[in-house]
Amino acid sequence: MKRNSLSFKIISRILLSCLMLGLVIFSVYYYYTRTTIERTTRENAIFLAENTIKKIEEVIKPSEMIPNNLAWIIETGSIHNDSIFSFLSKLVKNNPSIYASAIAFEPHLIPDGQKYYAPYAYRNGDKIETMILGSADYNYFIMDWYQIPATLKQPYWSEPYYDEGGGGALMSTYSVPFFMNKNGQRILGGIITIDISLKWLTEIVNSVKIFETGYAFLISRNGVYVTHPNQSQIMNETIFTKAKELNEPKMREIGRDMIKGNSKLTSLYLKNKGDVWIYYTQLPSTKWSLAVVYPDNEMYASLHKLNIIVFLLSLAGLTILVFFTISIINRLISPLTKFAKSARVIAQGNFNTELPQIETNDEMKELHDSFEFMQKELANYIVNLKETTSAKEKIESELRIAKEIQMGMIPHIFPPFPNLPEIDLFASLESAKEVGGDLYDFFLVDEYRLCFAIGDVSGKGIPASLFMAVTRTLLRSVADKNKSTAEIVSSINKTLSFNNESNMFVTFFLGILDIRNGELKYCNAGHNPPVLIKNKQGADYFKITKAIPVGLFEEFVYTEESIFIETDDQIFLYTDGLTEAENVNNELFGDDQLIEVLRKNAVSSPKLLIKETMKEVSRHVNGYIQSDDLTMMSIIYNGRNSEK
Amino acid sequence: MNITTQNTGDGILIQVEGRIDTTNYNEFESAVNEVLKDDVKQIYLDCNGLNYISSSGLRIFLTVQKKMMAVGGKLKLFAMQPAIKEIFDISGFSSIFSIYPDMDAAKQG
Repeated sequence: MKRNSLSFKIISRILLSCLMLGLVIFSVYYYYTRTTIERTTRENAIFLAENTIKKIEEVIKPSEMIPNNLAWIIETGSIHNDSIFSFLSKLVKNNPSIYASAIAFEPHLIPDGQKYYAPYAYRNGDKIETMILGSADYNYFIMDWYQIPATLKQPYWSEPYYDEGGGGALMSTYSVPFFMNKNGQRILGGIITIDISLKWLTEIVNSVKIFETGYAFLISRNGVYVTHPNQSQIMNETIFTKAKELNEPKMREIGRDMIKGNSKLTSLYLKNKGDVWIYYTQLPSTKWSLAVVYPDNEMYASLHKLNIIVFLLSLAGLTILVFFTISIINRLISPLTKFAKSARVIAQGNFNTELPQIETNDEMKELHDSFEFMQKELANYIVNLKETTSAKEKIESELRIAKEIQMGMIPHIFPPFPNLPEIDLFASLESAKEVGGDLYDFFLVDEYRLCFAIGDVSGKGIPASLFMAVTRTLLRSVADKNKSTAEIVSSINKTLSFNNESNMFVTFFLGILDIRNGELKYCNAGHNPPVLIKNKQGADYFKITKAIPVGLFEEFVYTEESIFIETDDQIFLYTDGLTEAENVNNELFGDDQLIEVLRKNAVSSPKLLIKETMKEVSRHVNGYIQSDDLTMMSIIYNGRNSEK
Repeated sequence: MNITTQNTGDGILIQVEGRIDTTNYNEFESAVNEVLKDDVKQIYLDCNGLNYISSSGLRIFLTVQKKMMAVGGKLKLFAMQPAIKEIFDISGFSSIFSIYPDMDAAKQG
């Protein structure tokens, strides 16, 4: 797929928006899941701890009942000294959780003035043995199990200990004081104890598992590890020694708070385990503290697993999406490539090239129809263009011929009268279009007289050229040596005016110069006044009687005027295409500039004069389109005595 | 070129502004022909805004002049700029057309 192809663009945009959307959804999902996991884990840890406490209590409570009841029995005096041993033996035998039991009496209750008397029954294998505790070597009055409950006057669970005699099992002693009434006073009678193996406790606590390595442990009131997954720590270390060993002050704080009997969920950084969460709470009976520990990273293990699944699923989804999008887009836009090919073929002129077949009724179909329409229109257009072009070519060729004919009507061999040194003449005519309405003409009416004329038909192009041809023909047919210029002009006017529905007209200047004496007779029918350059210096417009152009009013009376020109005088005639030649700013060449140019070139021959004037006009127009026919004619009178 | 026409009661006032040349003379012609359709006796042609006229334009002036003469009406030109007046003078058209300095003079004439 090309980097700049349409499908690449679409897919990259779709993919990008999908990714962004996915990222947003994932972030939200991740945040809520994480929060939920945190909350449920916390609840779970608390629940686990509480549940473990409950399980432990379920075992402890009934055990506590035994010495409690026993205390009551003794207080009521229901047991005789003789039966104490068998009673204790049965008690131990019947309660598997009890390893041993003793009743330690205060000296005042001991007969025979003995100081110690503590009957004791204990397990030895399957048998129950009995003995009497207490001697100078074993002064139970100063033992914790005796002294503390005796002083507090309430039951007491001892710190756990290993009982060498009891098979090395971890034990704890529960001591309950009992009282006697003596002389109306309630005084301490002794302490009843039961020794309970804590093996089951370890089992219960060790069964707590959270995630992979989460665990629970129990510490005594002194912070000694009662249970811990790490066996070596039990009874050997306290939470405080451990805290010191690991150099974890926070752990010590937690230990203190645990001993105080508080419950709390808190986090803790351990160097060997990382971030962990710990929840601790007190065991109501023994006042020991249970803690549940679980590592922070394991809490999110399931989330991470889920993340990987989500990621893989997304990847698979996106791959499928891209695959489908590519195939859909390619299927959709494949006609475009074909259309592009067709367009090239069409551009090369093959309008009937086959277009891709579109089965669907969508934008592609629209494109297809547009293409088809374009093909038809182009074909039609080309047919029309061919017709138009050939028609135009025909007209152009006709116009070319017409131009040749028109130009053939005006004399264009210069110098025209090589045998008449008295005069020199030059003329030029440039039509704005192929054919034009300007005309000039000159011919000798007799041996000595030169007839010359310049004219400008209103408008231009073919209509003007026809009118020009008629005028030129009329001039040649009307002019003869016996007619005055006014008569010739009037005659032309009469013929042209007759049935001139189009109201076209010709401004016309006709002159007849007698080369013998320089007499110039002329008639001006509304034409621009010619310029007379006197003696090769100075130039001025003719002062002319106003008369209307020919072709307008049949009966109009034209008048003839006459002047004498002298040797070296030059007559410059032109049409308004000269004075009204425009540049791009619509500025006209103008009468004044014309006079200026003519004065500057007053010494020039007619040919040079016209050439120079043309140059000046070109400079003024500066490439702007020529809007009117431009004609100039200049005649210099060299005088009668000039050389042949 | 801009052409406006309005009724003056006794005739039609045509105001023409800009140039009348070979590229647009037919516009002027059709505008004028529109006026000539009705039987109008006086046409006042305000030439104040006219700054160029070609021979094609002059032809239309002539056509109007001839048509007005044929029906016994009058075409009155007024407020002509000097350059235009010169064209009329050179071509001798000044003698064919009635040319006035302003509208008032044209009304009285």
